[in-house]
Amino acid sequence: MKYSFLALIFIVSFNDVHVYANEDTHVHTEMSDGSSIKVDQARFITFSEGLKQSKILVVSVKGMVCDFCARGIEKTFKRDPDLLKIDVDLNFGKVLMAYKATAKIDEDSIAMKIRDNGQEVVKIDTLQ
Amino acid sequence: MLYTIPPMGILKYVLFLFVFLSADCFARPVSYPGGYTFMFKSNSLRDTAYLHYSSTSRNAVGVEAVSDKVSNDDYVYLRYTRLLFRKNHQKSQGNLYLNTGISNDGFDNYFYGIEGDWETRRIFTGFGYKRTETDRIDIDEKYFLAGVAPYIGDYGDLHTWLMVKFKENSYAKTSSLYPVVKLFKGNTLMEFGYSDSSNWDIHLMYRF
Repeated sequence: MKYSFLALIFIVSFNDVHVYANEDTHVHTEMSDGSSIKVDQARFITFSEGLKQSKILVVSVKGMVCDFCARGIEKTFKRDPDLLKIDVDLNFGKVLMAYKATAKIDEDSIAMKIRDNGQEVVKIDTLQ
Repeated sequence: MLYTIPPMGILKYVLFLFVFLSADCFARPVSYPGGYTFMFKSNSLRDTAYLHYSSTSRNAVGVEAVSDKVSNDDYVYLRYTRLLFRKNHQKSQGNLYLNTGISNDGFDNYFYGIEGDWETRRIFTGFGYKRTETDRIDIDEKYFLAGVAPYIGDYGDLHTWLMVKFKENSYAKTSSLYPVVKLFKGNTLMEFGYSDSSNWDIHLMYRF
């Protein structure tokens, strides 16, 4: 029984395998002040499609290692009617957020909400 | 007027005073603020169904229905869980939780315990200790858990952990080491373990 269970574990585990965390896929997106942020290129392009009239925020977060735990971030920010889109990049420790162009961005409030979820904000970059 | 506290119950009073009155040093979640979580657990000692609400980012209160396999009794715990400590790093996170509960059978039936974990996206380690006291029997349980993720899934994927759990309890006076698989996707988590000595150890969780 024990060995059957172990076999089942491995069959289930290697099903639906994706390989992520390839650091070569990152891109340094240039900011208006000359600084850059490290994001997943494909992910960022997909996220920003159709978001020309919006403010995109890239929030660097510390302690965001678990999908199940990061769910709270998504749920919390989705309550904001000014938020258009949100994505969590666990590999790079980033939360991508798109707000309406008219939205007033309160970085302290964003940092506090993420802290309340159990993680820590390192940096918030805004792309207009 | 003098109030007396039964000697056997003093620890629980101290514990409850501590968890309810201690200052909110860290604003950390048990779940996310305003979130509900439903859990079902089954092992050799009991089957439980537990619904909790995270009132703040580090406190959860809930009700747990227990089907006790030792006493063949059914009862309900009013439970409180507090995140005592969390340490965030860029690639890892560590947590320490305090769990308490008082049964509807009265103040002589309660439990308390502590759980901790440290995880990266690849490695997970955890431990736990729980003491259950009733008017019939007291049980100490402890476990250690370690595992790896065989692949690193993206946000929203099916995530898998292959783990080994060491568990012992003072009632059975046995210890067991057995494999555990943990799967989660979105808001749903499932954990299954099996050993010849203690049979199935199951944990299901859904977050609202």
